[in-house]
Amino acid sequence: MKNIYKPIEGVLENIITESSKIKTFVIRPKERFDFKCGQFIELTLPGIGEAPFTPSSDPAVKEKIDVTIMNAGKVTSLLHNSPKNISLGIRGPYGKGYPLHKFEGKDVLIVGGGVGLAPLRALLFGLFADINKYNKIVFRYGARTAQDIIYKDQIPVWAAKERVDWLTTVDVGDPSWTGHVGLITTVLNDLPIDMKKAVAIVCGPPIMMKFVTLKLLDLGFAPADIYLSMEKSMSCGLGKCGHCRIGKFYICKDGPVFTYEELKDTHDIWD
Amino acid sequence: MNKVYFIATDKLSFLVERLRDNYTVFSPAAKPQNYTKEVDYSFQKTAAKDTLLFNPYRCVEPLKSFFTLAKEKAADYFACEDNLKDLGQVIIFGVKSCDIQAHRIQDFVFLEGAAEESLYRARRENTILISSDCTAFKEVCFCLSMDVLPHPTTGFDMNLSPLNDGFLAEIGSEKGQELVNNYPEYFAVAKDTQIAARLAKRNNLIERLKRELAPKNIPPTSIQQRLIKEGFSLDTWSQFMQTCVECGGCNLICDTCHCFLLEDRKSAGVNEKVKMWDSCLYANYARVAGGANPNKMRAQRLRFRFTKKFDFFFEHLKIPGCCGCGRCIEVCPGKIDIREVLKDLAKKLNLAQ
Repeated sequence: MKNIYKPIEGVLENIITESSKIKTFVIRPKERFDFKCGQFIELTLPGIGEAPFTPSSDPAVKEKIDVTIMNAGKVTSLLHNSPKNISLGIRGPYGKGYPLHKFEGKDVLIVGGGVGLAPLRALLFGLFADINKYNKIVFRYGARTAQDIIYKDQIPVWAAKERVDWLTTVDVGDPSWTGHVGLITTVLNDLPIDMKKAVAIVCGPPIMMKFVTLKLLDLGFAPADIYLSMEKSMSCGLGKCGHCRIGKFYICKDGPVFTYEELKDTHDIWD
Repeated sequence: MNKVYFIATDKLSFLVERLRDNYTVFSPAAKPQNYTKEVDYSFQKTAAKDTLLFNPYRCVEPLKSFFTLAKEKAADYFACEDNLKDLGQVIIFGVKSCDIQAHRIQDFVFLEGAAEESLYRARRENTILISSDCTAFKEVCFCLSMDVLPHPTTGFDMNLSPLNDGFLAEIGSEKGQELVNNYPEYFAVAKDTQIAARLAKRNNLIERLKRELAPKNIPPTSIQQRLIKEGFSLDTWSQFMQTCVECGGCNLICDTCHCFLLEDRKSAGVNEKVKMWDSCLYANYARVAGGANPNKMRAQRLRFRFTKKFDFFFEHLKIPGCCGCGRCIEVCPGKIDIREVLKDLAKKLNLAQ
């Protein structure tokens, strides 16, 4: 019988520096590994520990998985200092991803903050694969400073695509930055979307998700049309270890993508 | 209606002796008297010539400790075949109704949902649960308040009810029936008078326990979920947390608590995943990388324990995540009493009976 805690082996083929604290790890799994955009994996640093991440690569690409990781804790700091070609463990994929079929025919507003752009990149690839199914994609991305922007070479390519409307803002400007300066909530007014047939997808740090959600409600989005990528201390990935519970949900199993409608009566979701 | 047999006291001892040839048999042993002057019982491996002791109430250890160990290897890495030790066949005597109820929750967690845990499944299949009716209760017992009777009605392989000269053995599963089929010489068909005697004894204990619990005014299951939902912002949580030393004892001894932590370690040059019990009362239980912690405040952690027991499980299983065994009350050095927490919520919400 399958052991649910056993990771499969992946080789760390490449490490791409995205910013001073964020790197993308390119992993080649030794067994077939499928995931849907928005689902997460548990990545094991052998003998050290494991942590949950949502892959940032195109789910249609099977031979490698990109995982974009901020240096934030024990496992991630060791990963950031790790050499290439080591073996890593992969468990998953876990949870429910983005329900792409529900976005069809709609104006898709995506709001990303900081390293929250990572899971959204997988979503973008998923949307781009069938771009004609969606009315348009309006992307608003916020980073702390210009130096904190990730996927710097790719953003202009995505922004230039047909049906895509992209704006990047930074919280704090500097002489090198000629774009918009201001918190992410300041670029959500006068959006080029038809509120009657729009959905919003939000991913970023909890405080950003909270204020963006409040802003979107203010703009008239229905709670059921706001999709949030929640993150808690997911460990087993299967609703057994207990750590990622909020109210009656396990983030790992019932999420990590929830509509605000599902969560609005649950306490402390932004903590 | 389950099949019921009679087994005489001396024959049960012979049976246990025979069972030891094919099974590892655990049964209750009396521990030295504790401070409450009650005799405590502990599951011990039975050795040759041990007399089978009947425990009038539950053992100290939770039943879960047979199915998920406090700390154990959970998996090898990668293509490496899992090298799990031979589990062997196990028979556990002295399991009580509260343990059986708690077991429903452990089964729900480890066998249902997104996936099944293979080690738990293997242990479950290799284990025969022989429960027994309670004939007394501890000061901390409050099973009736959780709608759990002091005798099991389902969930066991065989249940023993003590009579004057032996036991009624009710069959609850195929495994239990096989036991009778394999050792038929020890079992007789139960007489109606014996079944009537069992009923009388059971009702007598229920009445005694009801009288004991009545003045304690423990809020009934019908309002428990409401207490937690409406009492979310009350000061009950911070008040009761004042004496918590964050030892995690309540979680570890709890028969329904199932939370665990996965760790990676290198043992003799080989990497492996290790699984160990965890406690939501620990400060770092819900902490994420970067330091964010939804349960930073101690009161939040106590509330987290209660929302799991009295909201989450009502929501998903329609039963409380508490079997009323009172183990957490006995173990707590801070004297935090789960019954008193529920009562305090009921009082403050004007829902007290």
